[in-house]
Amino acid sequence: MSATPQPGAGALRGRLRPPPAAIAILFATLIGGALVLASGANPLEAYAQIFYGALAWDNLPNTLNWATPLVGMTLAAAIPLRGGMINLGGDGQMIIGALAAAVIPLYLPGPGPLVAAAALIGAAIAAGLYAALAAWGETRHGIPMLISSLLLSYPAVGIASYVVRFPLRDTTTGLPQTALVPEGARLMTLSGPLNVGLLLIAAIALVVLFVDRRTVAGYELRMRGTNARFAGYGGVRLEAQAMRVMFASGAIAGLVGAIIVLGSQFRFIDDVLLTPSYTWSGLMAALLANGEPAGAILAGLFFAALQTGGFAMQRETSVPRVLTIVLQSIVILFLAVRHGAGKRER
Amino acid sequence: MAAPELEARGIVKRYGALLANDRVDLFVERGEIHAVMGENGAGKSTLMSVLYGLQQPDEGRVLLRGEAVHFRSALDAIASGMGMVHQAFKLFSSFSVWENIVYGAEPRRGAFIDRRAARRNVAELAARHRLAVDPDAIVGKLSVGVRQRVEILKALYREAKILILDEPTAVLTPQERNGLFDVMRHLAAEGRTILFVTHKLHEVMAITDRVTVLRDGRVVERMKTSETTAREIVQAMTGRSVSLKVDKAPARPGAAALEAIDLTIASPGGRPLVDRVALTVRAGEIVGLAGVAGNGQSELVEALVGLRRLDGGKVLVGGIDATDADVAGRRAAGIAYIPEDRASVGSALAASAADNLAMGFHRSPLLARRGLIDAGAMAKRARALIAKFGIKIAGEQAPVGSLSGGNLQKVVVARELSHEAPTLLAEQPTRGVDVGATEFIHNQLVAERDAGRAVLLVSAELSEILALSDRILVMYEGRILADVPQAEADEYRLGLLMAGRAPEAA
Repeated sequence: MSATPQPGAGALRGRLRPPPAAIAILFATLIGGALVLASGANPLEAYAQIFYGALAWDNLPNTLNWATPLVGMTLAAAIPLRGGMINLGGDGQMIIGALAAAVIPLYLPGPGPLVAAAALIGAAIAAGLYAALAAWGETRHGIPMLISSLLLSYPAVGIASYVVRFPLRDTTTGLPQTALVPEGARLMTLSGPLNVGLLLIAAIALVVLFVDRRTVAGYELRMRGTNARFAGYGGVRLEAQAMRVMFASGAIAGLVGAIIVLGSQFRFIDDVLLTPSYTWSGLMAALLANGEPAGAILAGLFFAALQTGGFAMQRETSVPRVLTIVLQSIVILFLAVRHGAGKRER
Repeated sequence: MAAPELEARGIVKRYGALLANDRVDLFVERGEIHAVMGENGAGKSTLMSVLYGLQQPDEGRVLLRGEAVHFRSALDAIASGMGMVHQAFKLFSSFSVWENIVYGAEPRRGAFIDRRAARRNVAELAARHRLAVDPDAIVGKLSVGVRQRVEILKALYREAKILILDEPTAVLTPQERNGLFDVMRHLAAEGRTILFVTHKLHEVMAITDRVTVLRDGRVVERMKTSETTAREIVQAMTGRSVSLKVDKAPARPGAAALEAIDLTIASPGGRPLVDRVALTVRAGEIVGLAGVAGNGQSELVEALVGLRRLDGGKVLVGGIDATDADVAGRRAAGIAYIPEDRASVGSALAASAADNLAMGFHRSPLLARRGLIDAGAMAKRARALIAKFGIKIAGEQAPVGSLSGGNLQKVVVARELSHEAPTLLAEQPTRGVDVGATEFIHNQLVAERDAGRAVLLVSAELSEILALSDRILVMYEGRILADVPQAEADEYRLGLLMAGRAPEAA
């Protein structure tokens, strides 16, 4: 009924506004620099070390090795987010995938590559079903997925922890870990720390991008993300969609767990998978891009580079690597502020 | 001659690049009922916000009885004797009538509210202005018409000399509307001044003394109501000649396209929202479903399209039982649906026109093959619909959130009509849509009927129901009270039915 000037004005501002991500990174760099300066170290040197540590030719494999699980978990978070849903249960799903991948090769005979493939597929299915459980709880019983996906994580972590301490413990070492996966079933090494898992995640990223841009399923998910009621009105079967999407998300999380087990640790070791908190870095990367896969993947790569560079900086200077976590947080805060401010103006 | 009661001179209000008010002059005499008319986006609401102190003008000034005033907020305006009744009422629904009316200006006795005096004052005020309300009633339990009286009393309690009524009749039955008009005349006779914002022509003709017409933020016409015609006002509003009548030939109904049998939707407590409703819409006819908002029409429509589970009864589409089909199933069986709420149900505002126009077709061979969307076909189809329906948009990739109400509605209408489904459900198809777009949509609905499709038109706008329908059903408290052929329907009879009076009494 009234004149509706806001959208037009907003579009105008949108054109004049520099890309927010770049501004957020700039501000984070300045604030982080000030922190380093205040602690008595040289910020330029710290940043140079981060940059070198992450992107120098010799260090690039480390960054990619770190990026493999992180981008994987970014995709796991981005897929539901694209449809306006949030999967907070990445930890549990990753653990289930890892455990499945560690156990299947111990009991399944056969040629190595086939066993590896079976382990990967088994991990994806187990974790996918576990994630879909959260969607089922929401659609059938009204339990908000935000809560159930997170809560389902804890029993998964706890049960896995029990399993590797008691029934499946590798009695030869005495540590809470499973027996080693037979060599034939491990993921092939590409070079240095890199293995076939990198290619697997890259392939999945391409598939996710393709599905998002070109398929009916991607269209339906995007429309759900912009307006779920509109999607439902148009005939999208929202309940089945939620189950499928959560299955896909959980399956990718499970694959990440499986890749870590079959590619670098060769067994399930309690606690080790969750320490780097790939799930949360991935979730933040996905949130930065609001679930848009290309942006999320870039953000995931950026965080991976930042974190890898942080290790190098800690080795070479007196600045602890926690600085990179601070930088990551400031970037997110700044972007969140911009989103919030934009909403209020509407 | 004395200075006008209220005067606006050269009001300019910009929102970014958009000029919402462009040097608007308004003169309102004491004791007159003055209509401010214009299409959506003409700047009526902006002007009212400026007069009432809710917005500060970029240029220009407001004068009360010849003296310049500067309202920094609505409180200043109220202190100067202005009152405004908004479209969405601003009442505390869990409080009583008198509490709502005295709120913010309570008679006190020391630190306490003098309840007895407050209640007495409210009762006296209501009696004096013939606005019958029970001061002790809880506002949430009152009908919309009575709530509106409470709003008016609230303004009168603050001794408002000038009342701004923003689309006050949108939610009323014809009888309630006539009651409001009596109150307005009485207030004007007392020497109060009323600014009446509306886009309903017959109301302007019925009650106002003078009309100021806005278009694109400018005043295009000032007229004495007695010296003008509805046609002239429409021309001033739209800048062109618009047909007010819908031309249509008699209907030739065919087979039943949509049927409901004993359709029931229970409510968590108490009376069912929809109570054993039976209805049939045949091919080639427009059936109007009239009723005051909130009598079960929305729920009935949701149940018909599959968005809501039934608690009893059946839905047949094209003669086939579709009770267990979901939305996709019902659409496949032959239902297209223009929903009441175009912004939160009928479209995705952040998505492009192409995306919006594709919804519901995205699995059809037109746009998709083996699960892959044909982006080229989607864009091409969107461009064709934009051209065919005259949607004003920068391009098919532009988001629809920036469109005006009428244009957004055209997007929804274009998409749903292009289904060419045997049955079309049109729910409030022209709500908040300007005269030009309304005319267009009405003609489209008649064209659908003439093409042999069944149309169920749900509208709170009686003039729309009367103009378009071949048969009219009236819904009251979840039940269909009457099935009236168009020839026997008039506003008075339908109005009684809408207020729940049984057909015998009508």
